[in-house]
Amino acid sequence: MDIGNIKKHSDLNFEVAQAKKNALEKLRSRQLMAYNERLFTADANTINIVSTLKQHNKDFYMLDVNDNPCHIKDPNDFLNKLIERNQETLNSYQQLHQDLAKKRK
Amino acid sequence: MTTGVLMYCFDTPELNYHRLAERCVEQIRKYLKLEITIVTNLETFKKFKPLGMINYKLVENSTTNTRPYRGKSVAWYNKERALAYEHSPYDTTILMDCDYFVFSSTLLELANTEFDMMLHDRVHDLTGKNMILGKDESTLPLVWATVTLFKKTANTKAIFAMINHVQEYYPHYRNLYRIRYINYRNDYAFAIALHQLNLGNRIPTPMTMLADSVDVIDSDGDGIVFKHGDNVMFTSGQDVHVMDKEWCNG
Repeated sequence: MDIGNIKKHSDLNFEVAQAKKNALEKLRSRQLMAYNERLFTADANTINIVSTLKQHNKDFYMLDVNDNPCHIKDPNDFLNKLIERNQETLNSYQQLHQDLAKKRK
Repeated sequence: MTTGVLMYCFDTPELNYHRLAERCVEQIRKYLKLEITIVTNLETFKKFKPLGMINYKLVENSTTNTRPYRGKSVAWYNKERALAYEHSPYDTTILMDCDYFVFSSTLLELANTEFDMMLHDRVHDLTGKNMILGKDESTLPLVWATVTLFKKTANTKAIFAMINHVQEYYPHYRNLYRIRYINYRNDYAFAIALHQLNLGNRIPTPMTMLADSVDVIDSDGDGIVFKHGDNVMFTSGQDVHVMDKEWCNG
């Protein structure tokens, strides 16, 4: 491979890596979710902790992204909303990921 | 409880900010569906195309500030923003620059939470070249006033009183915080006020941005296409602060 082609290859990789970073920022931003006037991220950590705590208590307290406590009175409702938002953002990311994979081939 | 968007828009001899505001209004209507108030001057107001239901507040703006833009020094009418607390008719206000374009409902999620004032303290440069932030610009924890959500509370009233004070004595505060940038900039005034009062929440995700050297070459209701050097990229469903002030000129 001559240096011209290597440069093209490198440019394409930069472009793909940046598109991925931008899509991840979009995903994180779209995962922000208001609940009972508090702000949460619908990511794996939040889903896991809600899922775990709800097995032990009917209601419980959690810290939001700004470290403010939130009383979770209906864990099922909260968990459903978190999962819905999480999957919505991941579906959108997955589509872009597939497009990028095609671009690389 | 009312929630709405407040924008400041003053055309300058060099730049047609009203064109950006017109586009910004379209995006707000599509994704946020909130009432909008535009603070402007009579000269700019006359240039707006009919935008439907908008609250206009006409003021006489200060015209003493300048900024660098694409290698030139241009007029920058940014001092009225310090009066946003008085100008806003809403309980919860999304104070937004007219070059910030919403392509999602993320700001609604933020507005539906409890806070006094919330703004970005980090940026994400979409080009990956990290052209936005300089090094050692000040000794201050920087925030970006581009999008500022605030509620009408005693704390917020104090913050805006402090911002007005900082604006009045800006050379002193600039010196105190070792700010390199010479001209008055709202980002610093807001950051100083929040630092002095130990108040304010941060938006947890960075503000997506394009530097003024990046050209926006196309857009639709869902995103924009931009060009930097030989690279052409696009955004979709992602709010973005565009520093190219001429892309809406047609």
